[in-house]
Amino acid sequence: MNKEQKTEYFENTYMPKMHRYGKLIGVIGVLVSFIPPIVLAVVFKAIPDWGKLPAAFLTGAAAFGFLWIMEPIGYFNILGPVGTYMAFLSGNISNMRVPCSSMAQVSAGVEPGTEEGSLIATIGMAVSVLINVTILTIGVILGTVVLSKLPAGVVGALNYLLPALFGALLMQFGIKDIKYAIGMLLYCCVLYVLIYLGVFSWLPSAANWLPIITAVFGGIAFKLIVDSKKDKAAAAAEKKDE
Amino acid sequence: MDAMQIANSIPMWVACGIPVCLIIFQSLLFMSKARQASKDIGLSDDTVKKAIRASAITSIGPSLVILSGMLSLLVTVGGPVGWMRLSLIGSVMFEGIAAGIGTQQVGVTLGADPMTPTALAMAVWTMVLCSIGWVIFATFSASRMEKIQHKITGGSTKRMGIISGAAIVACFSSFVASHLIKANADVGFYFSKNAVAAILGALFMFIMMKISAKHKKLSEWNLTIAMVAAMILTAILPIGA
Repeated sequence: MNKEQKTEYFENTYMPKMHRYGKLIGVIGVLVSFIPPIVLAVVFKAIPDWGKLPAAFLTGAAAFGFLWIMEPIGYFNILGPVGTYMAFLSGNISNMRVPCSSMAQVSAGVEPGTEEGSLIATIGMAVSVLINVTILTIGVILGTVVLSKLPAGVVGALNYLLPALFGALLMQFGIKDIKYAIGMLLYCCVLYVLIYLGVFSWLPSAANWLPIITAVFGGIAFKLIVDSKKDKAAAAAEKKDE
Repeated sequence: MDAMQIANSIPMWVACGIPVCLIIFQSLLFMSKARQASKDIGLSDDTVKKAIRASAITSIGPSLVILSGMLSLLVTVGGPVGWMRLSLIGSVMFEGIAAGIGTQQVGVTLGADPMTPTALAMAVWTMVLCSIGWVIFATFSASRMEKIQHKITGGSTKRMGIISGAAIVACFSSFVASHLIKANADVGFYFSKNAVAAILGALFMFIMMKISAKHKKLSEWNLTIAMVAAMILTAILPIGA
């Protein structure tokens, strides 16, 4: 396939199919997640206090409701549409879906944003879901008895695995444009300092979305502007040569 | 029946097994469609296998973190619900908080008071109701966001690459910053163990990238080696609070 055929296949054959599956499974996913609470109610008569459930929902919505919208928007440019369908249904996005799909792309040597990149990211993400479910299933079968025997040192050390993972990932992807990466990191650090100082306390759960949303969109805008300036400079240089 | 007996009963295993099966089904379906498409556009089988291996290796560490998070859910809401919630939609951070919000309304403090059937139902309903917003918004906005992105890039692959590249570095920068900057009411800002781990993670990754530039086979283990080494060293070193 040449490049046009590839794009045409991708846009007209592959993507429409994936959009259909993604939406359908998303809706089914929402519905089936109600099965456990319904079984609790029907089989065991374990019924929530209906008068107090709205208050619980509103408390939760106040804490997380903004993220329902901000996270899909923030992650879209990394996950793409197919990745979005998968990642939000399977959860654990920052700590698992994003790292695994991007490492899959690195290892396969494909560029993010291309058709190949998108396919490889989807495959990588699917693998990470399957492994996550497998490990959780083994864990839950072994049960609390075995798991609680894990030495406290091991459980404590696991707290440092995610920050180490993020540091390593930033090195992996930031090293290609080290100035941009350092700039982004400084920006986010300043933002977190301001958040802790209470500057953004008027925004709902700001610490959870403000840095990522503004960094992602600010970064994209910056890079696109730099690129179009480069293009213009190149075009101007070409004209001069003529 | 006692609340924890209910939570760990066979009907609950079946009820929670259905959503878990759906997530497995989605992964297998999307993987097979993406593999078919890879073949169609001429990606080599070797490339696809490399991606699978890299993702599998990368998955192990974070899975263990999620597993350790499941420990606390096993005790509070039972095996089946903990297992399902961390396989579908949930994240380690969210589930415990949501369950706690639910039980608090009926006067049960999660992890401290004994669970009652009503509190269990409150916990599960709250976890479900407060998490579906993510799926609903993500599912119904994906194609719209794709159209917006398409407009911005004008269909140019180069611009798409710039966008994804810029976004991924920004995203990891914000994750790292959230661990570098820690503060609490008592001491204000402090240098945390998490910050040590993030810095060491970056440092070890740099070293691994240098080493694997010579030994190509090693490269898919870079991330795992860097993150485990950083984790162990952080736990041992007497730096950070």
